[in-house]
Formats: sequence, C-alpha cells, structure tokens
Amino acid sequence: MSFKARNCQLLPTRAEIVVVGAGVIGCAIARELTRYTPDVLVLDKENDVACGASKANNAEIHSGIGEDPGTLKQKLNVRGNRMYDEFVRGLGVEFKRQGLLIVITPRSAPPELLERMNEEDRRRFFTEVIPRGIVNFGKKAGITGLRILSREEVFEREPNVTREALAGVFDPNYGMVCPYKLTIALVEHAVLNGAKVFLNTEVNGFRVEGGRVRAVITNRGEVETSLVINAAGVFADEVADMAGAGGFRIHPRKGATLLFDRDVTSEYVRSSVAEFRLPGMKKTKSKGGGAMPTVEGNLQLGPTAVEVEDKYDTSISAEEIEEIFERFHYLLPDFPRDAVISAFSGIRAPTYEEDFVIEASDKVFGFVNVAGIQSPGLASAPAIVEMVMGIIKDLGWELEERKDFIPERPAPIKFSELSNEERHRLIMEDPRWGHVVCRCETVTEMEVVNAIHSIIPATDMDGVKRRTRTGMGRCQGSFCGHRVAAILARELGIPVTEVTKSGEGSPIYVGRTKDLLLQNDLRGERLVDEG
Amino acid sequence: MTKILRPDAVVIGAGPAGLGAALAAREAGLEEIFLLERDFELGGILPQCIHDGFGSIVFDQVLTGPEYAQRFIDKVERSGIEVFLDTMVLELRSDRSLVAVNSRDGVLRMEPGAVVLAMGCRERTRHQVLIPGYRPAGVICAGAAQRYINIEGLMPGRRVVILGSGDIGLIMARRFTLEGAEVEGVYEIMDHPGGLTRNLVQCLHDFDIPLHLSHTVTFIHGRKRVEAVTVAKVNENRKPIPGTERLVECDTLVLSVGLIPENELSKKAGVVLHPATGGPVVDELMETSVEGIFACGNVVCVFDLVDYVTFTAEVAGRGAAEFVQGRRRWRGEVPVRPGRNVRFVVPQRLRCLDREVELYFRVQRPERSVRVRVLVDGRVVHSRKARMVRPPEMVRASIPAGALNEGVREVVVEVTPDEKEA
Repeated sequence: MSFKARNCQLLPTRAEIVVVGAGVIGCAIARELTRYTPDVLVLDKENDVACGASKANNAEIHSGIGEDPGTLKQKLNVRGNRMYDEFVRGLGVEFKRQGLLIVITPRSAPPELLERMNEEDRRRFFTEVIPRGIVNFGKKAGITGLRILSREEVFEREPNVTREALAGVFDPNYGMVCPYKLTIALVEHAVLNGAKVFLNTEVNGFRVEGGRVRAVITNRGEVETSLVINAAGVFADEVADMAGAGGFRIHPRKGATLLFDRDVTSEYVRSSVAEFRLPGMKKTKSKGGGAMPTVEGNLQLGPTAVEVEDKYDTSISAEEIEEIFERFHYLLPDFPRDAVISAFSGIRAPTYEEDFVIEASDKVFGFVNVAGIQSPGLASAPAIVEMVMGIIKDLGWELEERKDFIPERPAPIKFSELSNEERHRLIMEDPRWGHVVCRCETVTEMEVVNAIHSIIPATDMDGVKRRTRTGMGRCQGSFCGHRVAAILARELGIPVTEVTKSGEGSPIYVGRTKDLLLQNDLRGERLVDEG
Repeated sequence: MTKILRPDAVVIGAGPAGLGAALAAREAGLEEIFLLERDFELGGILPQCIHDGFGSIVFDQVLTGPEYAQRFIDKVERSGIEVFLDTMVLELRSDRSLVAVNSRDGVLRMEPGAVVLAMGCRERTRHQVLIPGYRPAGVICAGAAQRYINIEGLMPGRRVVILGSGDIGLIMARRFTLEGAEVEGVYEIMDHPGGLTRNLVQCLHDFDIPLHLSHTVTFIHGRKRVEAVTVAKVNENRKPIPGTERLVECDTLVLSVGLIPENELSKKAGVVLHPATGGPVVDELMETSVEGIFACGNVVCVFDLVDYVTFTAEVAGRGAAEFVQGRRRWRGEVPVRPGRNVRFVVPQRLRCLDREVELYFRVQRPERSVRVRVLVDGRVVHSRKARMVRPPEMVRASIPAGALNEGVREVVVEVTPDEKEA
C-alpha cells in the first residue's frame, strides 16, 4: 500500500466512539475500548501517532512520590504504576523497574532552617527526619517498598553520586518504558482488534444537537458518533471549546532533556537518581527531573520546566542546556559532558489547576475530557484508562467484553537483540536482514522496510527512527540518513526528493544536483562564463 | 551458522587506511587477508572527495579522492586479498575473534591471526556541540552533505550557512556554490581558521564567501525545515556576546565542527584509547594495547592528509605480518611524550626499538619560526626549522634508526622558538 493510497482512504461516516488525539493516552483508551467494541476511530492531525508530548518526555513511570497529596494526579499515578506490568503485557514493549534513588544532600533543606540547628540536629535532620518523612509521605499515598539508605548504601547503589550525599531513600516502584514505542504498540493492538486510525486528520469542530454530541467535523469530512473522548494533549482545551465542552485552559510548559551516548553511559546510573528538595524550595512546578537510564541504556538528564507561549515550541535554549549542566554537575560531578548525543524538548499540557481533568462534560452529553495530562501522565495511563472506562459506563454505555479480542500485539523483530544463530537464519530467509543500514544502532534494511509497512506505517525519517532507532545513535543519522531516505522512497513509491524528516514541509533534499544550476541558468545567472 | 574462518589477517574498513594496510600485509607475505567494508564499494570517504589535493607526498602528484583510492583498489583487485563488501563487524573480542554480518553469507565468524582496525572517523553532530534551537530538517554534517551531492546526486539545500571552518566545511562551501546554491558565510568559533590555508584560498576567497572568525550559531530556527539561524560573535571564552546576534535566513546549516575517531569496535575489544587523540594508544608498529590488534589512519587520530593515513596503514599492515609470522619482538617500553606546544604524538609508545620511526603530532597553538625537535633522553636526534605550525596541520618528525635501545627512558617531541631567528 503506498503512501498516497493510505491518504486517499475515506474517513468512515460513522463510529461508535471517536478518540481525538493519538498520544499515549488516546491510544491506551482506544486499545481498552476495543476489548468491548471494534467500532473505535482514532483521529490525529499529525502524520504519525505519538507526535506530541508522548514522543518527547523522560519515559519515566513514576511511583507518585513526587505528587501532591489529595490530587487526582497522585491517586492515578500510584494506581497506574501498580497496573503497569499488566498494562504492557502482550504489547511487545520493554518495561523495566529500575527504581528511583532519592538523594539527600546539604542542599535538600533551606539554609534559614538549618541555621537554627546545631550540628547533631542537622545530622539527624538529614539522615533520619527527612528520610522518614519521605517514607511516611509515601505510605500515606499508598506507595510501598520505600527503603531508607545510609550514605554508604547510596554510593554502593550509585557510585557516581556526589560525595556530599548524606542519605537516601530508594523507591523500587519507578520504571522506564519507551513512550512512543508504547504508544505505537497500544494503537497497533487497538487496530488489530478493529479500531481505525486516521492521521493527518484535524478536528475542526463538533456537531452538537440537543446537548448531545452528534458528529465530529474534520478536514476530511464528518463522522457521526455519540461518544467523543478528547485526548488532544496540549490542544485539549481548544478541542473541548469547539464542542462547547470546555472550561479549562492548557498552558504549554516546555521540558528539555539531554541524552547521552549509550556506550559511555550504560552503567553510569543504574536507577533513576534525583536530588531531594524540601517542599516549597523548588522554583518550578515540575518535579525537578533527574538522571535516569532509558530502556536502551542511554543516560538522560532533565527535564527543565519553562512556560512558553507557543504550543509548538519544541526548541531548546542555551539557558536550558546550561541549567541542566549546572543542576547535574552537583548531583553527578563527573557526568560525561562530552558524550551528549541528543537534546530534545517536549511540551507538557498542564491546566492552571495543575491537575488532571478527567470527566464527562456536564454541558455536552457524550463528550469526555481527558485533559491536563502532564507528567506523571505516562505513569498514570493505566489508571486514567480505568477511570475513563468508569465514566463511559456511568454515561450508560453497555460494555460487554468481546470474546474475539486478540490479547497480543506481535512486536517487530529487533536484529540487534537476536542471537547470532537467529540472525543467520533470518538472513538466509531474506537477505535484507543482512544489510545493516544504521551502524550505530545495528538496524537492518528489513527492520526499516517492516516499519514502513507496519500497521501504523512510518512515512518519514522520524517515523522510521522512532520505530527502529535508525539515526538515534552517536552519529545521529550522518551515515544512514541517505540510506533510510532511499528505502522510504522505494517502499512508498515516491521520488527521494519527496522524502521528509517529519511530514509536509520538512524535505530532506531540495532537489537533484544541477537542478539549481539549471534554474539559475534560466534566470540568466551563470556562475561560469562559458563564452 | 557458517564455520569459523581463520585468515592470517582481517582488516576492518576499506578506506585509504584499510586498503593500504591490507596491501602492505600482503606484500609482507601474508597469504589470506580479508578486507571487510560496510559500504557497497571500496575507498571509504575518498570516492565522495571529488576535489583534488590528494597524493602529493605518496605519489608526488595531485589527485582527486577517487583517483587516489583507485590506485589502491586496482592493486587490491590484483592482489588476491578477499574483499567483503556491505559487511558489518558486530563484535570484536580481545582474543581477535570477531562476528560480522552481510546479506550474502549471513553471520560470519572469524578468528584471524591479526586484526587491523581501519574504521576511520565520524563527524561531530549539532548535539555534540549543543547548538540550541529546533530540530528541523536541513541541519547536516559537511561530510554527509558531500555524500548527498557527490554520490547520491541530491542537493541538501539552496541557501546555506556553514558552521566550522574545518577542511570539509571549506570544501563544501565551494561545492555548494558550484552547484548553484548560495553560501551565506562560514562561521568559526575560534579566532583562527580550522582548515588548511590552501582550502581557505581556493574554497572561500576565490568564491567571495565570507569567513567570520570568533562567531558561532546560537539558535536554529524552523520547526519543519531550517528557516534561519542566529549567529553571534563570541568572546575569548567562546561564549556568545549579547547584542551581537544577527538573524541569517537559510534553509540549511552545514556543520564542520570536528571529527571523532570511530572506535566502538576497539572499545569492545578492550583496546586502550588515548584521551587526546580519541584513538587507540599505539606503538611504532601501530599495534594497540591488545596483542595482535593493530590500528591505522583516522581511527588512531584524525589526520589532515590522506598520504599520512597511507603511511600509517603501511606500518600497521607490515606490523600485522610481522606479528603473524612470529617475527615481532618487543625489546622494551619507551613512552613518547608531547613536549612544549605539542598536543599529542602518535605513536605514544615504542616497544620494538629496532627501526626508524615516523612520528605524527599536532601543536596546541599556532606559532611562527619554530624548530621541531625530537629528544631521546634529552639528546636531540631530530631537529628542523618550520616557518609556521598550526593546530589543523599535522607535523611529522622522525627518530632515526639506531637512536633507540632498551635503556632509553623516554622520547620527547617539542616545538621551540627558533633561536637563530630571534
């Protein structure tokens, strides 16, 4: 199926349930819905799933220890974390619980508080009062397994942590998942079970009659429906307003993260590591981030938290880079600055109340907002899904489990993770398995081809990258870029000059050689006078 | 899986280094030599270097990159060296056993008598120099741009800003111009150019392309494709000076901000790398810290001239042959230390001590009217005048045969002001 054919598919005229937004939350809800009905339609304006916050976050499955008591965020985070193993089962997505080491340092308390203490009090404050406080805080929130660590135990666990560390608390519940691979897996699982996904499809409005939602109006036509799930991330407020089901505002908050070379940093930190700050000391609304290993083994530092005007502002500023370096220079004094291979930013979608908004609209029947999902949204996803299903039931939908639900989504084969025997067997079956396209991440031609022809097909360089890791290594695509572009062109049946990095307006090439000379010639601008 | 292959030597990489090493090993009498190359053709980066300037020392001729490579490729094709193209080495261990893969043979297991590392280098990317901004299409390393234009026949941009005045950046400034693209300027963060003088003249000056020293790119604009970059003057600490920013519209940012020896395999084999070169610590046979694993060319340190790459390759190829033939003998261990105004020296150690040794080094800072000297335990064994030394240009010096023996404690290479002129 070619790229063009896919875009020519007609939008269905009716769907039982429409999910707006193909981020991790929208896709997780869609997958859950397909347990009951195959008639689920997912819409997204981008050309791939996971194009917003789901592709650019720290991939952490928090425990809830960083959230304020009494918030929906904390409740769903604690529950979501517990549900995670079950949530990812059968998806073919790697999930590991690396834990979080909370490091207590002299900076963990404000100086004005410490001034009033004598030395012994101070020691007790850092090594007993604070750690116990953290553990008790966790207990109240329902977070179990927290362990107080002495200074020595901190270093034993994480030898690269600052020698200024005074004590620590280890939270074994913290996990890591690749957020865009999870999103892709969830939505592919949904599609396997009958859901339809329409990308490049922008919601422009809703038809609401008699206080009930009747249809979704898109740039590609209208879809009749009686139930809409608004999971539009940073745009959720605008989507809700289109239906008259709003009342909250999303203000974009940017988070930038630095990513390091796996070869240099795979052992640098074993768990997530964060410095403790007493409540009220933090300058920003973010949990403050930390250092953590991705599921692939790259060290990650960040994220920052910067309020921005533009919901598309995924830039990273010099100040943010400086801030990350400054912050982690203290916590991990010798972290390998030279091994940075990438830096990225994502946009959080907080409301002014800083809490999740998960509710059926009281203005428009059949319109469910799942909004304000900033961190720990990824960690809360299973519990958010559960809550949304409860809301749908309360609205009167009869949810009967299908008997023909397919419980598993087959994961794409990763050449780099196979044994040599398996590699050999595959190459003998199809030589494309023996052609390594990306040398840094050992990705073969066959994996790229598979990504382009997968259920949610990769249609550009970034799409292939997210699915296969081409260009994610230390050379950042310098060696493999033209090869991946050529495979995309071949498989999509388009000229290579139409291959893009991330959809329309992002061509890799501007033309063929001599094209410009010819154009200049036509304009009478000859570089070399041939007379 | 295929049975284990046991050639005399495996050379990893078939650029100028690998080609030269394989041929030298062959000439030194090794029978079965495998040359493994991950690309579809021999020559490494040379086929895309269609400009001239190669071979003035080796061949006493000025050749283009493809011409230079072809001289070796022709010899390899007649030599009986077995070439594996599109073949990627996945694993290399300290016992020299390795696993490679290609689409014809599947997984190949080899246990060669010797290994020569000749993987070359790669380009530093925008994130390694941490340029703030967006991540649009149109940010590209100079070598990749060269590949796109000269091999793929595709233009990566119309209006180009180049960051970094390394040789590839300068050459690409000219190449883009010759293809009808507009090069707005070359920006260099240092207060001196990064490339060879001849390239400054032939690639920038002759085409009226401005070079802005002490400038850098401080922001990349454009969400989908590059729309502009902000450039700014930098102070002596290479930090942008507020108020000097200027917005330059362009659709492409080409980076020529340094090369890094490609040593991922070397690390897997436990080869010790040198912090200043980023490549293996080698001796006068180009043997690394792991016995029987040799290295040559840009994998050892980034050379400015391909001729030097060829010279080190010949040493490594002959060394591998000596090793396999059981002729290689260590007589001692003598460190080669960088002295005044020397950043690093290759080789870093001497163990055979029985031959003339060619030393390659880079200076720390530009200096006029100097003397390049090699001292063996304080005794000058090599001394010559140089009108000018600059960090981008590799300097050669040599230790004559007979100057070394088991009792020597150290060799020092230094650059000192030439007293006679002072």
